[in-house]
Parts: sequence; C-alpha cells; structure tokens
Amino acid sequence: MGRVQEEGSGPVHGFRLSTVSSSRPTETGTTHEPTGLDLAMKLHYIKVVYIYSAETARDLTVMSVKAPLFPVFDQISWITGRLRRHESGRPYIKCNDCGTRFVESHCDLTVDEWLRVPDRSVDESLVYHQPVGPDMAFSPLIYLQMTRFSCGGLALGLSWAHIMGDPLSLSHVFNLWARAFAGEKIYSHKTSELERVFQNPNSTGAKPESIKRVDPVGDLWVTPSNSKMTTFSFNLTVKDIKSKFPANGDDVFEILIGVIWKCIAKVRGGSDPVTITVIRPDPNGLKPRAVRNSQVISSVHVGFSVAEASLEEIVKSIGEASDERSKIDEIVDDVSDFIVYGANLTFVDLSEVDFYEAKVLGKSPESVYCNVQGIGDGGAVVVSPGVVVDERVATVTLPGDDIEKVKCEMDKCGLITVLVK
Amino acid sequence: MPDQAPMPEFSSSVKLKYVKLGYQYLVNHFLSFLLIPIMAIVAVELLRMGPEEILNVWNSLEFDLVQVLCSSFFVIFISTVYFMSKPRTIYLVDYSCYKPPVTCRVPFATFMEHSRLILKDKPKSVEFQMRILERSGLGEETCLPPAIHYIPPTPTMDAARSEAQMVIFTAMDDLFEKTGLKPKDVDILIVNCSLFSPTPSLSAMVINKYKLRSNIKSFNLSGMGCSAGLISVDLARDLLQVHPNSNAIIVSTEIITPNYYQGNERAMLLPNCLFRMGAAAILMSNRRSDRWRAKYKLSHLVRTHRGADDKSFFCVYEQEDREGHVGINLSKDLMAIAGEALKANITTIGPLVLPASEQLLFLLSLIGRKIFNPKLKPYIPDFKLAFEHFCIHAGGRAVIDELQKNLQLSGEHVEASRMTLHRFGNTSSSSLWYELSYIEAKGRMRRGDRVWQIAFGSGFKCNSAVWKCNRTIKTPKDGPWSDCIDRYPVFIPEVVKL
Repeated sequence: MGRVQEEGSGPVHGFRLSTVSSSRPTETGTTHEPTGLDLAMKLHYIKVVYIYSAETARDLTVMSVKAPLFPVFDQISWITGRLRRHESGRPYIKCNDCGTRFVESHCDLTVDEWLRVPDRSVDESLVYHQPVGPDMAFSPLIYLQMTRFSCGGLALGLSWAHIMGDPLSLSHVFNLWARAFAGEKIYSHKTSELERVFQNPNSTGAKPESIKRVDPVGDLWVTPSNSKMTTFSFNLTVKDIKSKFPANGDDVFEILIGVIWKCIAKVRGGSDPVTITVIRPDPNGLKPRAVRNSQVISSVHVGFSVAEASLEEIVKSIGEASDERSKIDEIVDDVSDFIVYGANLTFVDLSEVDFYEAKVLGKSPESVYCNVQGIGDGGAVVVSPGVVVDERVATVTLPGDDIEKVKCEMDKCGLITVLVK
Repeated sequence: MPDQAPMPEFSSSVKLKYVKLGYQYLVNHFLSFLLIPIMAIVAVELLRMGPEEILNVWNSLEFDLVQVLCSSFFVIFISTVYFMSKPRTIYLVDYSCYKPPVTCRVPFATFMEHSRLILKDKPKSVEFQMRILERSGLGEETCLPPAIHYIPPTPTMDAARSEAQMVIFTAMDDLFEKTGLKPKDVDILIVNCSLFSPTPSLSAMVINKYKLRSNIKSFNLSGMGCSAGLISVDLARDLLQVHPNSNAIIVSTEIITPNYYQGNERAMLLPNCLFRMGAAAILMSNRRSDRWRAKYKLSHLVRTHRGADDKSFFCVYEQEDREGHVGINLSKDLMAIAGEALKANITTIGPLVLPASEQLLFLLSLIGRKIFNPKLKPYIPDFKLAFEHFCIHAGGRAVIDELQKNLQLSGEHVEASRMTLHRFGNTSSSSLWYELSYIEAKGRMRRGDRVWQIAFGSGFKCNSAVWKCNRTIKTPKDGPWSDCIDRYPVFIPEVVKL
C-alpha cells in the first residue's frame, strides 16, 4: 500500500500544513469533467520527488517556493478544485480554487547521506500522501511536501491524483513552477473537451485486458488489496542492459520488461502472468503540453509460459501490444471502480519524461524518484530517467511475499549487481 | 379605469417632488429671499431721491478724523480677532491603502476546508461558519496574513510583528512616495491598532524604521475598536490646532494574526469569518502651503460614546471561552445597539450639516410628536441633501443594510461600502479609507463634494467625520482598486452557494 506519513516516525518530521491557491478567482460554476480514461485512473496517485542540492536550495524560503505556484494555478486552476459527484454518481471537479495542500518538514540527514542509499524507495517518506475521501469535497488532489535537509538541501515531493493527468502532466506543471520561480512569464494551453478524448478506429470490440473492475470503494479512493505491497528501486545504465542482454533490439524498455517479466514469472511458478500492461507516452505526442491522461495503455498477451520462454520471444510479443485506450474509455461507467496499474503486472515507461528540466537557479535536481500509489496485486514496474542520459531508475512494487524472491532472480540474471538486503 | 389609475399616482408623486424642491429652495436660501425685497426698496428709494439729494445727505454727515480712525481701527480689530480665533483649516493631503499580495488570498472553499480540519470535532460550529460566510457579503479575493494559512494557525508574536511590519511599512512607503514627504519632516504620528499592542509600541516601530525625529509627537491608540480611525483623526485635528505649521501621519490598521479565535464558541467564531488584512496611512496638515494639493478639508468630526449604558458596553466583549481560548463575543443585540448609537450621533451632527429646510421639518415633526400626537412617525432628515458620498464602515453586511434602511440611502450611496466589504472584507478601522479610495477610483469625487464617514466600534461608539473635497480627483493609476475597479460594482447575491 505504500508508506503513509506519520508524525515523528523516521528522520523526516515536523509537519506543518497550509494551503496554496491561485491569484485570480475562477468564475463561479466552472467545472472540469473527467473523461472515461481519467476515471479509470481514479484509484491511482502519482508520486514524484525532486531533490535539490544544498548549493542550489540553501536560500529558498517557504514563501519563495509557494509564490511561483500562484501563477501556475492561474493558468491551470481546475487542479486546485475539489471532487463532487453528479446525480448519476459520476465524479467531476468543481473549480472552487480550494487549493493544494503544502506540507513543510525537516530531515535530520544531509542530501548526500540521503542519496547514498542505493534503493531510492526511501524517497517515499518525502511525499505526504492522503487518498481522496472519505470526504471527497474536502480532499486536495495535489499534495506538495517541502523537506529541508540538515545541510540546506531541499526535497519537493508531489502526490498527484491520477484522475487529473499522467506523469507527463505532472512534469509539465512542475516545470512551469520552475520557470515561474526563475521569473519567466508562463502560459499553459487550455485543453478543450475534444483534445482530451481521442478516437481509435481499431477498436475490435473485445474487452480491454489492462483494466479490472474492483469492489466498490465508495468515496474513499484507495485500491483494495489482498496483500501488503512493497517497493524497491534500483539503478541501471542503458549500456549495461544492452551488453548483458544483446540482440534483443534497441528498445531498452522492452528488454527490461522482458527480463523482469521472466524473473517474476519464475517466482510465481504455476500462476505466472501471461498478460501484462504496458504504459508508454503517446508517440503522436498530443501537443501542446497540458494536464490530461494521454499515455498509451496497451496490453500484451502471450500463449506460452514466460518462465520457460527465451528473452527474444518475449520481447517480440511486446512489440505486438495493442492500444486499449478507447476500449477503456467505453467500458468505464459513472459509478464502477476500476484499477489499471496492477490489474495485471504493469510496466510504465517514463524514461523520456523531462523531470530533470525542472531547474532551480539553473541547476537540475540531484535526483528524481517516481512511483505510483495504489497499485493492484498484479504489481508494477516504473522506469524513470536517471541523472545522466544513459541512466535509468526502475522502481518495482510487488506483493511483499514475492519481493525477496524476485530480487534473487534479478540478481541471478545479472540485472541487480548489488543485492540490497 | 385601470390605465388611468397609475397616472394620477405618478403625476401626484411628480407634483410632490416639485413641492419638496420648492420648499427646500425657499427655506435654504431664506436670507437671500429676504434680501431681495430690501434691495428693491432701497433701489426704488434711491432712484426717487435723485443724485443731488443723495449728495446733500452725504454732506450732512459730519465726519471727524478721530471718528473715522476709531471706527476703522475698531473694524480692523474685530476682523483680526475673528481670523485669529477661527479654528485652523485641517487638510487631508493624501492617503494610501495597503493592498495585500495575492499569496495571502483566501477563497471561500479554502476557508471552509481549513475550518473543517481545525474544528473536526465540532461539525455544528463548522456549519455555522459556513452559513455566516455564505451570507457575509465577502468575495473570493479577501486576504488573511500568512500565519493564519496554516492548519492549525500559528499565531506567534513574531508572526504578528511581521504582519504589522508588512502592512504598515508598505502603506507608509506608498504614502511617502505619493506626497513627496520626507520622514524627517513628520511632526505628529498616530498609530491605531485595536488588538495588537506590543512593547515597544507600533508607533515606536514606525519611528525606528523610518528614523523619524526625536521630538516627534507620537501616539499609539489601542483597544478602541473599529472606530479608532476617526478617533485618530480627531486627535490629529486637536493637535494640529495647537501646533502651527505642522503635519500629522495617521496609521490605521488591525493586525489579524494574534486574534484568530482558536476555540469553537459560535458567537466568537464570527469575527474569524469577517476580519481581513488591511491598513491605511493618512497625511494631514494645517499648513497653508498644502491647501493647493490637499484632497480634502475636514469639516466636522462628531464622536458619540454609549459606554454609559451597560448593554452597549458589553455588546462587543473580548473574553475567554470555557476552554480558555480568547475571542471577541458579539452579542445578538449588536444591530439594535448600533442603530441607537447612530441615532445619538445623528442628533449631534444633523444640525451641523443639514440644510435649514430639513432642520425645520425635523423641528416641526418633533414639536408635532411631543405636543400633538406622540404616535406620529418621527421625521428622518434626508441626509442625501447634506452629502454627496457616504462611507459606512464595512463591518458586515447587516451593518450596511441597517444603515441603508435607517438613512434611506440608495444602492449607489452604499456601493462603496458594499464593494469594499466584498473585495477586502472587514479591515476594521482602515475600511473607511478603502471606501473613499473606491469612490475616487470610480472618478466620482468632484471639488466641493461632501463625504460622510461613519464608523462603529466596541464600547459602543459611533463616530462621524465630514470631509469636503478640495479639488476634483482624477482616477488614480495606482491604489488598492487599480487592477479590479473595472470589475466593480458586482452583484452580491443574498446567499452564495458554497
């Protein structure tokens, strides 16, 4: 389920909550209607942590971090709204300028000490996360935690309700913040209803496999789960992957999927997963950048046992993934609850997302951690960019029982060079 | 016939209007009317007498040199005494209102959400606050200081001081820039802030920041409520009568940070919903050289204190609740008491400002009620004849509604008060200056216009100031209304659905 913030537990403490809104009032009665694809994501939350070094962030005060948020929210004011339901039960966002929750905290360690830990999932404690509900009308959709390290460095952790948009949207908003911080005049395109819904003429009529209906959760938007989900994270380089697993094509992400899928299949033995979900950015890149769910969600189904198959076979079948977005859009209704991440084993490709463009005083963050909250029992692997172009960070979330065995398998095949015990 | 029935009503009301106008013109210019027949008689007499007779009358008057000298000396002496004993004209050179930064904005939804989180065990209190906010007449752009944005609020003394510095110094910097006054030239400084009174005082804080002179006459008024702004003006006026060739700076503000009520008694939660950040800095002067650039002249200032009556004294009372949280308890009789205080104030100011026609009518109606029929409705003088503009303290929607009803004012007369309440909330003693600024921003202030500022405050006090506009004021390019005046006036619904 992920670690929930608790006062006083661990080195991060001293939470002070406040709210940040926009500078201009939104017209009364404005609403934002989520599409079917948006609603499919409602039980998921994106968490991203940006860590800045002491030299960069030493002089940043709380006010200097809060102030650039105002012009950003002026441009995209609906993300500061609150959820309501229509009479039909379909959720929508009331644009009442309620704001985002801003959390200040302190960490007893320095940035260097914090970044020394190779398993970056420790960054989960730098994101203040609360799910939507039980009072939907009073639940912020975005939480921003500002953690001051003892050396003066800063971590900015965002918890972002996936119903609003995908990780590219989050990066877009945060980059706008960084540009507003630098004093630039920012502008974000207002997306009309039309630009958020897309037509896919290849709809075959079969039910989408990447989405699963779950038991009704009511107004508390938490993914129901049978097991405690655990996260671990490791770094890898493109060169390394290509040298260890040669002749599997050029797409590092697909190679990674293949390797990890195989490891997990070996661990799960009898019930090895034959269907996975692959989430990647849309190559037709809906420009200009805006806040919406635009990732391509496709499903891969194989007829053979993944544990036994060769890597080439697996990678080849990944290439035949089918885009299921329009099917998802159709199947989602007003009241049912669904999950996408973790409905099956899910692989998310964020390696091309411009997280490191969020420059403060000209410097990129020292580290960016990205994960999803509310992953179902199928588990998920999120691949995000590293500090340098060649590097990737893979964050794996699986049921707690499987995780040690999966780590062993990954060690055996050479994916993780240092096993963190 | 149905069509004809409205016509007689309309024509009779038009006739009545002309009768009223005629009556007012007659009574107000009574002396002039008296003079006309006298002048006519004298002119007729002179014409009848002819030039030689006039010369004979002139020569028959024997003028002695001593007599001439004595009478002219007497005339000069009387006029000198008159000019010396006349009170100095007090000018309002200029003023400046604080405009809070957008980072302090508190939309309704945010206020309610914070309220729910802070008072999570008292849903009835939250419900109460929501109903107050819906009917308050406030808008979505009012501002609270940074310390109050926290859940729960963190009202430390440091935070209160920094709010005071932020609001007061910004307003004063703006005033110095507008008027070109140098800090070393300030003779009198009066700061009024009711609920925050640290040591050293806020006036000492201002003197320290701007390095004012060591022989400055500084005063710090605290605890005097929302009407303290006009009390400061009264004090400045008295001081400027005594000290020739001087100027005075008045700073009116209310510091919200330390006074945010943290308990859950309903009567004490009301101020949290209405009070917002604001400040005003005013430059007053008695120098002759300022009369060209001054915006207003102070005509009258009337203070009425109802503290002798127990009910009035206790109606706005700061006290601890059962849990020990300090807050301001507003009694349910507040509106009635305000009405009485206003009546008392009007009784004093009426004769000073009302034209003779209204005073006569009022006198006749008073005699009528006392002698003939006590059940006769009391005549409420038409103050619209005495003033062009009204600035009613934006204490809350109920106060403005009550005064509009009592004084029979139109929507346009109370527009400045309502719009100030909407845009800035209840900024306590500085609200009168935001309202005046609104009227100027709308370009309605002409030379010779008379303005009536009415303020209510704890105690219970009702203070009035009457200003006369000294020069037509061009729409200011800066000021608290500069970026939003085009959106005003807005329609404020009776209940805003949250």
